[in-house]
Amino acid sequence: MGQFLQAAAYGIVQGGLLALVAVGFSLVWGVMNVINFSHGAFAVTGAYVAWLMSQRFGLDPFLAIPIVAIALFGFGYVIQRGLINLIINAPIFLTLLLTFGLNLVILNGLQLLFTSDDRTIDTSYASQSFALGVVNVPYGRLAACFLAIVITVALALVMTRTRLGHAIGATGMDRGAARLMGIRARHIYAVTFGIAAALAGIAGTMIATVGSFNPTTTPGQLTLDAFVISVLGGLGNMYGALVGGLVLGIAESIGGLLLTGTWVNAIAMAVLIAVLIIRPSGLIGKAQYSGRVEV
Amino acid sequence: MSAGSDPGSPAAVLQRPHRTRVQVFVDWVRSRRPANSWPALLGLAGFAAMLVLQQLIEPGTQRLLTAVFMFVALAQAWNLIGGYTGYASFGQVAFFGLGAYTVAVLMNNYHVSFWLAMPVAILAGVLFAVLIGVPLLRLRGHYFAIATLGAAEGLREVVNNLTPITGGGLGITIPTFGDQVPTPYFGKPGFYLAFLVLAAASVAVCALLARSRFGYAMVAVNEDQEAAGAVGINTTLVKVVAFAVSAAIVACAGALYAFQQIEFYPTDVFDASFTVLMVIMVMIGGSGTIAGPLAGAVGLELLSQFLRVNLGAYNQLIFGAIIVVVVVFFPQGVVNYFREALRSREFSVLGNVRRYRL
Repeated sequence: MGQFLQAAAYGIVQGGLLALVAVGFSLVWGVMNVINFSHGAFAVTGAYVAWLMSQRFGLDPFLAIPIVAIALFGFGYVIQRGLINLIINAPIFLTLLLTFGLNLVILNGLQLLFTSDDRTIDTSYASQSFALGVVNVPYGRLAACFLAIVITVALALVMTRTRLGHAIGATGMDRGAARLMGIRARHIYAVTFGIAAALAGIAGTMIATVGSFNPTTTPGQLTLDAFVISVLGGLGNMYGALVGGLVLGIAESIGGLLLTGTWVNAIAMAVLIAVLIIRPSGLIGKAQYSGRVEV
Repeated sequence: MSAGSDPGSPAAVLQRPHRTRVQVFVDWVRSRRPANSWPALLGLAGFAAMLVLQQLIEPGTQRLLTAVFMFVALAQAWNLIGGYTGYASFGQVAFFGLGAYTVAVLMNNYHVSFWLAMPVAILAGVLFAVLIGVPLLRLRGHYFAIATLGAAEGLREVVNNLTPITGGGLGITIPTFGDQVPTPYFGKPGFYLAFLVLAAASVAVCALLARSRFGYAMVAVNEDQEAAGAVGINTTLVKVVAFAVSAAIVACAGALYAFQQIEFYPTDVFDASFTVLMVIMVMIGGSGTIAGPLAGAVGLELLSQFLRVNLGAYNQLIFGAIIVVVVVFFPQGVVNYFREALRSREFSVLGNVRRYRL
C-alpha cells in the first residue's frame, strides 16, 4: 500500500512538471494549429539560461525564472514573427517541417556551445524531502508542481479575463474576423508563441533543478510528452494540459510499479490511440478543435 | 484522294482482311500507350544509367547510393498516403521496423530463406496497415499524425519487450556466415541492385497508381472527402488501400535494410527520424507528384551525406538551416513551384513567399 501511495505521490508531482512542459505546446496548437516540433528545444534552451545564471552568478533557479521567461519570450516572439508567420497560410505540415528544421538548428547550436554532457542545476533543497505519513515528498518536485499549477491558473485567467487573452482566443477562432476587428494577427501570433516559449523555458528550468538535462535526448522526449499530454487533455481549454499531465504522470509511475521492463510505454501508446479513437477532443477539450484541418 | 480509300474510315475497316492475333495485340498495345510517354522513357533511362554507373564506381560510393535508393522508395511510399491521399502518417517507420524484424526473426530463429522471409515481411506490413488503418484513418489532420506516431512508438516498445522472440533491447543478428546460412549475404554490389530495383518498382507503382482511376480517387479524398463520398467513391477503401500499398513498400525497404545491416536494435529500425525524413523529402520535393519525392529524396540524402563528410560537427546545424530556408522560400515544394512558375511565367521567389505569409 505504501508503495502505491509513494508511486501516486511521485506521479502527481511529476505530472505537474509534465503539464508545465505541455501547456505552451497546447496553447500554440490550439490557437495557430501549429505543431511546434522545437518545443522541447525551447525548454532545454531555458534550462541552459538558468544553468548559466546558476554557474556564473550563483543565482537560485527559482529566482532565475523571470530572466528565463523574458529571454525565451523574446526568442519565441522573433521566431514566430520572422519565420513561422511567413508560411502560416501554407499546408499545415509545412509548419511542422519548419519547426523540425529549427529544432535541428537550436539543438546542434546548444550542443556546439555546451557539449552534449548531462547538466543539472545544484541547489541545497532539491534533493531533500519530507515525510508525509508513509510517503516521501521531495521539496524540489513539490515546488515545481506547485509552480506549474500556479502558472496554468494564471494563464487561464489571462486568457479569459484580459484583452490580450481575448485577442488570442479570437484570432484562434477566426483569424479573418479578428483582423477585421482591428486585432494585429501577426503580433498576436508572435505573442502567443512567445508565451509558449517562455512557459517551456520555465519548465526546462524546473527539470534542470529536479533532474538533469542534455541537448540530445531530453528535447525529443519533452516534445513527445507534450504531444501526448495535449491530446489526452484536449485543446481549447487551458486546464487540459494540467489534466493530461497529471493523468500521464500518475499512469506512468503506477504502471512502472506494476509492469516489468518498458511495457508501460507500450500501454501508454495504446491508451493514447484509444483516446484518439473514442474521444478525439481529449478529456476536457473542446470538440471543434479535433475536426479541423486548416486554421 | 477519295474518302473511301482512307484506311481508317469505317468502310475501309470493314473491307480489311481478317487480322491476326498478333496484329490485334499490337493495336491494343498502341491504344494503351499513354499520350505522354516521356516520363516512362525518362524513368527507364534513369534506371539504365544507374546500372551503368554501378560498373564505374567503387563499393564505398555504391553504399552511399544504396541509401539514396532506399529513401527514394520510402519517400514515394509516404507520398501515396501523405501526399496524394492527404493523410500525413507520422508512423510509417512502424512498417519499416516490422519488415526488418519479420525478416530477422524468420532468418535467425527459423532459418528461413530471405526470399521467403521478404514476402512474409511485406504481408505483415500490409496486415498491420489494414489493422490500424481502419480505425485510425477516421481521424484527420494532426490527430491522424499523432495516432500513427503512437502506433509506431507502441510497436517499438512491444518489440523491445518481446525478448524471447526478438531479442529485445539487446538487438538481433541475421546469420551470414557458417554452414547454416539461410541466404548468402548480397554484399555492396548486391544491395545496390536490390535497392535500385526497389526504388524503380516504387516509382513505377506510384506513377501507375497516380494515373489510374484509383489515383483520382486518392486526390478526391484529399481535396474534399465528403464530396468524394457523394460521387460514389468508397473513401474508407481508398484510404486503407493507399495506406496498405505505402506500408508494403516501406516494409519491403525495411526487410532489405535489415539484411543489409545484419545486426540492429529496436531503436535503429523504429527510429522516428526515418518517418520525419520521408515527410521532409516529400514536402520539400513537392507532395502529390512523382518527381517531387524523387527529387527530394535524391537531393536531401546527397546533401546530408555531403554535409556529414565535409562539415563535421556543424553538419546537422547547416542541414536544419537549409530545411528552414527551403520551407520558407518554397512552401509548396520545389517541383510544384517550378511547375506553377513555368505555367504562369512568374518566377519571383519573393512573390512566392508573399503568397503564404500572414
